[in-house]
Amino acid sequence: MSAGAAPRTWRLREPSILPGFGLTFGYSVAYLSLIVLLPLAALAVSTLEAPLAKVVETVTDPRLLAALRLSFGTAALAALVNAVFGLVVAWVLTRYSFPGRRLLDALIDLPFALPTAVSGIALVTVFSREGWIGRFLEAQGIQVAYTWLGVTLALTLIGVPFVVRTVQPALMALDPAVQEAAASLGASRWQAFRRVILPTIMPALLTGATLAFARGVGEYGSVIFIAGNLPMETEIVPLLIIIKLEQFDYTGAAIIGFLMLTLSFVMLFFINLIQAWQRRRAGMAG
Amino acid sequence: MSIQFEQVTKRYRGVPVVNDVSLEIAKGEFFVLLGPSGSGKSTLLRGVAGLTAIDHGRISLQGRDVTFMNPRERGVGFVFQHYALFRNMTVGENIEFALDIRGVPAARRRERRKELLKLVALEGMDERLPSQLSGGQQQRVAVARALAHEPEVLLLDEPFGALDAKIRVELRRTVREVQRRLGTTTILVTHDQEEAFALADRIGVMHMGRLLETGRPEQLYRQPATRFVATFLGAANVLLGEVTSPRVRLGSALVSQPGHARSDAAAGTEVVTVVRPEDLEVAGLKRDLMAPCLGEGTVVETHFGGGTERLFVQLAPSVSLRAAARTDTQSGSGCILEITRTGAEAASAPVRLGQSIALGVRRIHVLPTPVSSFLFRAATREAVAELRQSALVAQLVQSTRANSSETIVSEEGPAGDLRNSGVVVIDSAGRSVADLADLLTGGARRLLCVSRMGPLPRRVVIYCPDQAPQGETMSLVASLVRHINAEATFVTVLPEGAPTTARTAAIRRLLDTRAEVRSSHGLDLRTEVLEGDSSAELLALVSGPEPALLVMGMGGDRRALEESLSREVGWMFGGDGQHPLLVAYDGPRSAQLGAP
Repeated sequence: MSAGAAPRTWRLREPSILPGFGLTFGYSVAYLSLIVLLPLAALAVSTLEAPLAKVVETVTDPRLLAALRLSFGTAALAALVNAVFGLVVAWVLTRYSFPGRRLLDALIDLPFALPTAVSGIALVTVFSREGWIGRFLEAQGIQVAYTWLGVTLALTLIGVPFVVRTVQPALMALDPAVQEAAASLGASRWQAFRRVILPTIMPALLTGATLAFARGVGEYGSVIFIAGNLPMETEIVPLLIIIKLEQFDYTGAAIIGFLMLTLSFVMLFFINLIQAWQRRRAGMAG
Repeated sequence: MSIQFEQVTKRYRGVPVVNDVSLEIAKGEFFVLLGPSGSGKSTLLRGVAGLTAIDHGRISLQGRDVTFMNPRERGVGFVFQHYALFRNMTVGENIEFALDIRGVPAARRRERRKELLKLVALEGMDERLPSQLSGGQQQRVAVARALAHEPEVLLLDEPFGALDAKIRVELRRTVREVQRRLGTTTILVTHDQEEAFALADRIGVMHMGRLLETGRPEQLYRQPATRFVATFLGAANVLLGEVTSPRVRLGSALVSQPGHARSDAAAGTEVVTVVRPEDLEVAGLKRDLMAPCLGEGTVVETHFGGGTERLFVQLAPSVSLRAAARTDTQSGSGCILEITRTGAEAASAPVRLGQSIALGVRRIHVLPTPVSSFLFRAATREAVAELRQSALVAQLVQSTRANSSETIVSEEGPAGDLRNSGVVVIDSAGRSVADLADLLTGGARRLLCVSRMGPLPRRVVIYCPDQAPQGETMSLVASLVRHINAEATFVTVLPEGAPTTARTAAIRRLLDTRAEVRSSHGLDLRTEVLEGDSSAELLALVSGPEPALLVMGMGGDRRALEESLSREVGWMFGGDGQHPLLVAYDGPRSAQLGAP
């Protein structure tokens, strides 16, 4: 503000009492480059090296377009479902104490630990036409296995811990007095939730849903068992890449991979922007 | 009455954290609930707002019973210690929240917001977010927010607790001004006595779930009724004196009692006196004192405090004066007294460490409590140590911080001098009715029989056989229940099939007693009328699932006492003495035992 302030010069490193900036920063850059950036760059390079006609042909393939729609659509739907029910689960786990709470809490992480193929097989057992639940749904004319519903179900299962684990700390950090304040000012429970609690935990909820979405887009193992993999109907993008690879069409696989990468990056970037805005709104930005 | 509490009780896991609180707060009054942490004051406040449900009793606001009403329908304003602002809303939105919920039009809301921001001196801050404000400013917003819907009652739960000293004083002034201007009935909860003095029209002191005393600040400071209030509100020297009607002997000084608060205890009775540090006088020599001389002592500590000076003086061992409160500094050699002097006094008669001086006492206050000290009687030192460890005794000694002494007596020997003793504590195992009667008529007017392994009582059952005078018993009960975490019930037992007139009389007597205890001790009791054989009913009462202490008020001469004891509580003896028993006796002393 003051007129006499020295012009700000950009420096890589502000003098600080925290040790090891050079070491950790160097390590971070090397680590990210080696593990994330280099492979992605290779992907980009092999796409850019491909002849334009090949790129256009691969990208406009109706089979790929259908798969893209399915992958992003079901991942978005699953993220939405998780945002709602994951919030409910997180709420129950943080706000109430009941017998078996710790057990339930531990169960949430199970989808993380399980090989995804196991989850897939488990889902098929339950939801296939002869499965425990699938058989009743079948009677109602609802088919889960080998349809987009099954894909969504698998992605929902995979995404649960992301939402619960990000929302939980936000709920814990929420002062119960805030809710009491809303009640003493005349708000009903729903009004208190809608106008005070939800806006406060929104950034965390959005982060959780985004993580679940990102994971859903790339998920392979749990989906292929229950999806049935019918071309144009229940084929997901990662599967298409595998198919291309099996046909030794490495360029095609790289092009699809690069496309997914670009789409995911754009979406995540925008969600991040929204989050940053929300966080500022919630008064948490540093 | 703007706010009324009737016998409000709240338990957590069976332990009462708010215990039979009855209180009335007038319209427009600024009432401060003061107490140490865990005393139940916040729970009581939350009960008014409906944030905590109470287990027993009734709360009314403006004559409207709100005990079971939803918090949002009570129309109170509540301010939390950590502000609890809505962080996703601006200051303006926070303040308008209550109006917005009520569907007040935007123009009217804006107007009210401006008004309130001006009231708490935050004009122009409308668009800020809570995170952009300092702690003091956030609490101002919280106060404004709580007042937006024009509540009839404003409740503040330690509102200045999270702020630093300077801001605290500033905000305190704002709150007081706002309250004066709006005339809103206000309850503020705090553990800071200075804050209570600065704000309150009236203070209520809470301890262990009980509302101990209520009164104007200066009244509570000058004439406390309990040891706890005396020491919690400002510094106090609590000393044991002896009544030499109409004066009180304190060390070598005979001090007259202020007329309006004279203790009516008989001569020779041990009493607890409170001497404020500013009521002690210091002089180099005894003859220079203006006030009666308490004794001589040595300066052991001096503190310079700007406008005042604080001294600690250890009395010479020759001065026969006992502190009524245990102090950790006390080391067998004369008790230590605290004195404050103004800067002018300190300058005119400076003292230095180690100097020997004479102490004068200008003014004293005698506490009406009968629990002046504890005297343990047992055959061996080990037995005394075991008695001290019994849960009830340990709790009582700890929470009254009363002085205690021990007498080792062989069982066959004489009772010894029991006159002028506080509460005599004995082991209940192997006692007979005759033993008790001996001790009671021998001068132990308040006798507590406990078993060594007995659990801590959760209930107190009070019973006075018909003719026994109750005043003494009730002041003992009032003292007792303030110091243990238990629910107290005053019972009357009618013979089966008693005529209606007897029944009415019994109920009236109960209610009269309750009213009397309330007016003279500021304490509320439960009452219960039972029918049947009194001895059997008492046994049933104390042998419930929760451990109980039986308190009995007795009178009559030696023979009547023994008869009455064996009739009512004969079942207590001969066995292993499971139930603790406290007897208050108000009959004649037997000559041969009482004489020194």
